[in-house]
Amino acid sequence: MEQANAGERPIKLAVSGLGKTFQTRGNPLVVLDDINLEIRAGEFFVIVGQSGCGKTTFLRIVQGLDRATKGEIKLDGRPLAGPGPDRGFVFQHDSLFPWRTALRNVMFGPELRGTPRAKAEKDAREIIKLVGLAGFENHYPFELSGGMRQRVNLARAFAVHPDILLMDEPFAALDALTRESMQQELVRIVAETGKTVLFITHQIDEAILLADRIAVLSARPGRVAKIIDVDLPKPRTLALKRTPEFNAMVEEVWELIAGFEKGTAAAHG
Amino acid sequence: MASDIAATTSEKPASAPARGALSDRVLRTLLRPRIYRSLISLVIFLVGWQLIGEYVLTNKLFFVPLSDVAVAFVRLTVSGELWTNIAASFKAIGYGMALAIVIGISFGILLGASRVVADYTEVYLNALYSTPLVAVAPLLILWLGIGLASKVAVVFLISVFPIVISTASGVRNVDAHYLDVAKSFGATRWQVVSKVLIPAGLPFVLTGVRLAIGRAIVGVVIGELFGASAGLGYLIYTAGQTFDVPALFVGVICLAFAGVSLTWALQWLEKRIIRWKPMALED
Repeated sequence: MEQANAGERPIKLAVSGLGKTFQTRGNPLVVLDDINLEIRAGEFFVIVGQSGCGKTTFLRIVQGLDRATKGEIKLDGRPLAGPGPDRGFVFQHDSLFPWRTALRNVMFGPELRGTPRAKAEKDAREIIKLVGLAGFENHYPFELSGGMRQRVNLARAFAVHPDILLMDEPFAALDALTRESMQQELVRIVAETGKTVLFITHQIDEAILLADRIAVLSARPGRVAKIIDVDLPKPRTLALKRTPEFNAMVEEVWELIAGFEKGTAAAHG
Repeated sequence: MASDIAATTSEKPASAPARGALSDRVLRTLLRPRIYRSLISLVIFLVGWQLIGEYVLTNKLFFVPLSDVAVAFVRLTVSGELWTNIAASFKAIGYGMALAIVIGISFGILLGASRVVADYTEVYLNALYSTPLVAVAPLLILWLGIGLASKVAVVFLISVFPIVISTASGVRNVDAHYLDVAKSFGATRWQVVSKVLIPAGLPFVLTGVRLAIGRAIVGVVIGELFGASAGLGYLIYTAGQTFDVPALFVGVICLAFAGVSLTWALQWLEKRIIRWKPMALED
């Protein structure tokens, strides 16, 4: 049912004609070229592409950490300029503040906005419970495992009650087992909260497991090569990875990406 | 000694657990290699001093056995001279360090956070840091006269640089990811300073303060040697002028003791403040 009316939901994030060019010693390097995307409210949208295709740059531009050279981004119809708490960013690296406990890390965003301490703390405790870390509120990051740290990272982004969650390969640094359990956790948390998610990864199976739609990015310059609807039934479990439908989709994305690589190789040769 | 306590406790069963636990704890502390090795080395040092003073360097104009120093210590304590001088030195160290900490940290943050400030001031900082500031002590005494003000000035000048420089490098070495996080949550410039740069740089600041304490003690003695009417440096100077070698050693030992205990106190404080690291920063 969720799938059926997906097309009728309002557009949350609209990206049009977005481009990014870096000046490198005289030679302009086009990293992103004419990106056009429309992400609907409540949608789990995944951008997949090989490393160096500009997907992280794209996400940083959406967050306001980098500036686009051209094009426009609108959130709920408003053009975006600069960072803001309407977007929650989950970083790839372990970017928790080591001098703050899990609880105080989660309270960081609300604290910046001057939310009263008692309210911020109550909220943070609830979000920590949501990400399955109840009981670890007063632990410092060095006392937590990699998976737990990424849960806090996620909770910190949630704590500002963003309209959209931007996730930059959040599980890339985790070991395979932890990664799989975190993927399941993310599916559960997003289902519980109904958040819109823009997620970036280079792992095709991760993309398919999580996404409502996938945009495949070509390499240098990054362009949206294809948008794929993932109409596999939800909730998706790890068992899905062994079905022929799943594998067919992996194959499709894989061929697209492999195609760019051949293209780049030919261009260089 | 432990068996003595055990014997006493067996007679008084009511207080047995508490006293037993205490003696156990003392014993366990003494058995730690770090502790008993330093105790052994201290005993060797003190006994060696006494023996050398008594049998090797017997001219009392140059060296005295430890027992003479102890006698002088008691004499100076009873007369009240020692405390007056210790108080005078510590007053100068206290004021000078307080100034150095406040100004050093503020300027260090500014220096670390702003390229412009760094460009304008770095040359002078490096020049002053590498100049032996002993050289300007007479000038400060000329300006400020003999007394507290000139000593505070020397202490401040000599101890502010390690604080400025390590604070600035702490602020500069903040992981760029933390700045990205702050920015992405919409932090203002001031919030970036107060919520990221300062806490991230704190271990560096404390290391700077620890280095500064040693220099502050040097500073106060310099101030007092060049001209003062009280203080440990003054005590040492006048003892030297009157060939009172035991009193001179009392002054030197007090300074050594002050340096060691202040450094320990700060290490202890570092461990309290920085609980977010598995271990405190090593030098």
